[in-house]
Amino acid sequence: MPVISLQNLKKSYALGDNTVHALRGVSLDIEEGEFVAITGPSGSGKSTMMHILGCLDRPTEGHYLLGGEDVSNLSRDALADIRNRQIGFVFQGFNLLPRTTAVENVEVPLLYSRPLLPAAERRQRALEALDSLGLSQRADHHPSQLSGGQQQRVAIARALVNKPSLILADEPTGNLDTKTSIEVMRLLQNLRESLGITIVLITHEPEIAAYGTRIIAVRDGEIVSDVANTPTPMEHVEEDQEQSEPALAAANA
Amino acid sequence: MFATMPVNFRLALRSLNRNRMRTLLTMLGIIIGVAAVLTMVALGTGARGSVEGEITSAGTNLVFVKAGNYTRGGESVGIVAGRGAATSLVPADAEAIVEQVDGVLAVSPGVAVRTFLTSGEARAFARVQGIAPAYAEMYSWNISPGRMFSNSDTSDAILGRALADQLFGAGSDPVGQVLSIRNHSFTVIGVTDGQADDHADVVFVPWATLQGVLGLGHIESITLAAEKAGEASRIQAEITNLLRLRHGISDGSAETQDGYLAAQSSVGGIPDDFTVETQAAQALTRGLYTPAAAFALANLPKLDEVTLDEMSDTLDKASNTMTALLASIAGVSLVVGGIGIMNIMLVSVTERTREIGLRMAAGARSADVALQFLVEAITLSLLGGLIGLVTGILCAQAIGWSLGWPAEVPLAAMALAIGIAGAVGLLFGSYPARRASLLDPIDALRTE
Repeated sequence: MPVISLQNLKKSYALGDNTVHALRGVSLDIEEGEFVAITGPSGSGKSTMMHILGCLDRPTEGHYLLGGEDVSNLSRDALADIRNRQIGFVFQGFNLLPRTTAVENVEVPLLYSRPLLPAAERRQRALEALDSLGLSQRADHHPSQLSGGQQQRVAIARALVNKPSLILADEPTGNLDTKTSIEVMRLLQNLRESLGITIVLITHEPEIAAYGTRIIAVRDGEIVSDVANTPTPMEHVEEDQEQSEPALAAANA
Repeated sequence: MFATMPVNFRLALRSLNRNRMRTLLTMLGIIIGVAAVLTMVALGTGARGSVEGEITSAGTNLVFVKAGNYTRGGESVGIVAGRGAATSLVPADAEAIVEQVDGVLAVSPGVAVRTFLTSGEARAFARVQGIAPAYAEMYSWNISPGRMFSNSDTSDAILGRALADQLFGAGSDPVGQVLSIRNHSFTVIGVTDGQADDHADVVFVPWATLQGVLGLGHIESITLAAEKAGEASRIQAEITNLLRLRHGISDGSAETQDGYLAAQSSVGGIPDDFTVETQAAQALTRGLYTPAAAFALANLPKLDEVTLDEMSDTLDKASNTMTALLASIAGVSLVVGGIGIMNIMLVSVTERTREIGLRMAAGARSADVALQFLVEAITLSLLGGLIGLVTGILCAQAIGWSLGWPAEVPLAAMALAIGIAGAVGLLFGSYPARRASLLDPIDALRTE
């Protein structure tokens, strides 16, 4: 059973007097453990697709089955619960709460789990998530005291803390330099390999999309190509591993 | 939902702590409002207590029944002369008054004699007054040193301060001394500081004991305290009726509304063998030739009632004015404070739109977001309420001290003030919280 199944998904908005058709009938299956990169220029509908995949928005038409469950017409609160249990978000701008420590940032999704875990257990799980990304030393740092790469790793720890079945990464490297981008992409690759987690990546950069096992190109609200990809090999990144932080080692652990 | 309360409370405190100046300024309205509420209640309670205390200690709620009727009659004043001295007032009359007249707080039968009293070498000529234990409360005595006697038939004695000084030396403690009065031994058990009606020069003993010592079957007076100042006239009239009935003077049904004049004369030409006076009338006519007093009072019917009612009316009006003033200050401050909270919470929601979006993406339901901001608003207003509470108590103490009023802050008032503060937070925090909870997560995440 595919983790994600989109069936003739359509989404349109009213914009003034015009109706904008952001998605014009997208059908797509994503299997567990795939690393899918969705690419396309701005205005192609990839963000809309991402919002629907992330249960932040509902399709106008068609069906979205997440883990076999049709979530196309769920209520706001039901969607919130699904986001909480099944989806981890990684954003371009990290979206960490300012003046809040790394570990508290990672705890945020746990605050909305039902039933609520006790405070000590929430802290424990957040620390474990940070530790798995090699950030245990930074648990008490505020985002402003962390580098961009570290901030994105905190955000990834936050996405992972509730053990979701799907990670949605929206331009996760958009605010990072090349070296850190490579580091983050390698981290995502490793998560897929070690945890078997499904990753959907939205990007407009071909070299970032190249880390995926499957590349889907979207244009004008339709899928124009859907190809399997041999991910950018590990050797490529291992060149500058020595200079980089021990993220890979930690992620492998 | 309630499981997240501690988290929300911590988030609220952190958020408020981040902008301390803003938090303090926002709380100002609530602080002033709550302080005004507390000051209002404290001073209101204190003022009422103080005024009521003064009325009671002044004895304006007292009614006196005396045996005999010394009214002088004659054509010129149009009233029948009294019979003079009488021995017809008995303890049973006092009991009947307690049983049959409403609004009587306490009763003290009385007998008195002026006589020599000795204690060892010391001797004095003084008034000995037999009273009931309730007499001490009627005149709001402070007995120090010692205590009031608790029965009407013991051999205990209470000395007036001046008499105690005269017998045993200034400032002495005569408790335990034995006084001999008409060959009967009384033990001094207390000294009263009472100043009214020459109490300082009197020795007070239980009335039944003194009756026995003097060999009397009747009593000479009954002192009563009305439950409410201002009811003295009604009580006076009812006692007059009751005693006329009991003493077989008339059927007691006629002309009881004419106040003092009717009380002094009688129906059908038979004069009363007793006199009922209120404290106000007594005070006004003290030292006046009786017909003159009768005339004066006949022209001022229900004098005590008028004065006391007017007095309490005036006080009520003053107190109501002050309460209304403080209440409007409190009301306006609380509303303005509430709007301030709403305003700052709206700012906070706008500032933290991205945070809200992130929380929603992480699985926060609308109610979770609403609760977070509601808790923040309520924390803000409760904090203001708490500061206002302290400020209000201090204000009440300061104003009470400068006006000489006791400024009591009842616990219920504190609870009310905190409750009002919380309610303001809830009321004015609801809209911003709702706004936050209805944000679209996508838009919220896009916000810069």
